[in-house]
Amino acid sequence: MSMPVFSESMVMPPAAQLCGSCHGPTGQGVEPLGPRLAGLSAEYISQQIKLFQTGLRQNTTMAPMSMTLQGDAINQVAQYFASQEVAEVTPHLRGESVDYADPTAQLVYQGDWERLIPACVTCHGPSALGGGQFPRLAGQQASYIKTQLLAWQAGTRKGDVDAMMGTIANKLTAEEIDALAKYFADIK
Amino acid sequence: MSIAAELPDKQAELKLATVISDDYLKAGALAEIPQGEFGDKVRLGYQLFVNTQQLRGQYVGNELNCSNCHMDAGRKANASPLWAAYLAYPAYRKKNDKVNSYQERIQGCFTYSMNGKAPESGSKELVALSAYSYWLVMSGLMDKYKVTGDVPELSDAELVKGGKRDDFILPGAIASAMTIDERAKLAGRGFPAIPKPELAYSPERGAEVYTAHCQACHGDNGQGLAIAGVYSLPPLWGPDSFNWGAGMHRVNTAANFIYENMPFGKSIQLTNQQAWDVAAFVVSHERPQDPRYKGDIDALQKQYHQHQGYYGKSVDGGMVLGSKAYPINPSK
Repeated sequence: MSMPVFSESMVMPPAAQLCGSCHGPTGQGVEPLGPRLAGLSAEYISQQIKLFQTGLRQNTTMAPMSMTLQGDAINQVAQYFASQEVAEVTPHLRGESVDYADPTAQLVYQGDWERLIPACVTCHGPSALGGGQFPRLAGQQASYIKTQLLAWQAGTRKGDVDAMMGTIANKLTAEEIDALAKYFADIK
Repeated sequence: MSIAAELPDKQAELKLATVISDDYLKAGALAEIPQGEFGDKVRLGYQLFVNTQQLRGQYVGNELNCSNCHMDAGRKANASPLWAAYLAYPAYRKKNDKVNSYQERIQGCFTYSMNGKAPESGSKELVALSAYSYWLVMSGLMDKYKVTGDVPELSDAELVKGGKRDDFILPGAIASAMTIDERAKLAGRGFPAIPKPELAYSPERGAEVYTAHCQACHGDNGQGLAIAGVYSLPPLWGPDSFNWGAGMHRVNTAANFIYENMPFGKSIQLTNQQAWDVAAFVVSHERPQDPRYKGDIDALQKQYHQHQGYYGKSVDGGMVLGSKAYPINPSK
């Protein structure tokens, strides 16, 4: 039997203190105050802070909060939360299942090409573990995923290259958004 | 002046990829693949197609999966769908100057696109990929021509031949609807050809297109993006991409593919010129060596690369492409 190996944990930079009050000190998320930041890539976190600052992502709380981070503090905060532990997920690879009884799982792993919706995992990775500029969705709060998909639809969330995510979100029905939010939240 | 150069620009009249034509064959749903031994071969074909990396080190020498170029697991029209390809073989191919069966065509994919080593003729992998292709087209045709019942099962020996032949077993309603030649040219086959660009294609202009529209997914150096060790966003050049013998290294093939299928999910449409320029940019980078290489880049260039491509050429005063090519079928 092997013991889990934990990497040396980063000390919370002073700039992250304020974030911790809504996202939790290790970024595990506090529903409904703030989504989980742990496990997101540093690239994605920094990008989103900047989008809040420029108004491409609109959120009444995050607009002023993001402004407290300037210069190198953005990167420090991003690195800190990105390095926090999340539960390990054994990735489900494409092809492991051929047909999915659950239409939501089918959308996630195979997409719906008649509507030009690619599989979510193409960009978000196996089991939606995320990387680069694509956020981890596995284990994220369902309420948060839902509000984000709705924000993409409403145009209050922008900043994706060529409106990639906005275009896909616009093709999703209200029922699909609910189901996807729950599906991703339940990937543990 | 060539005929192609005299063609007017018909870009505005091209069908956008967001328009779904009713003319395209619609393969059956994967859930309809039958149980049993034959269905198992079809399922294995799908599994190998979307996760070709399970053959890494054996038949695959890069980080690609078949489904990277064939959208929707080989089901989508205008992204070289397997259903159309299956009925187009056996066919003569100039590439190797012989009549190729369907499995020989797939062997070519392993050798070049996958930078690997082709599975043996009749191997379970080639049978499975053939079975999947066959099932896609036959389920689609049976639906279209209202033929009821299960897709007729074929032996392994029959499956790997392909469907462009007199003795190919087809339900009567389908056989009488189209000639063999018509079946071999189903709408949506391959990547639709787009007109030549207004300005000669340019990797320099293409670099700007790449930065703006491609880099987010494919990386600042064409390296792709791996998540949990899986490259679902594929490398476009470098050691982990297709080699100098793959069809996609031709500027026109890449341009056709890109115009119709990229950016992924079609949130925007590149112009004809952008597609050619970015294709030129992508294929003017070093990649694994052409497997037909025998030690002389110039000789190989003359023999096999008399087309729109960059093998044996130097871009912007750089190294002659091919001279620093990466290995063929490397182990990971």
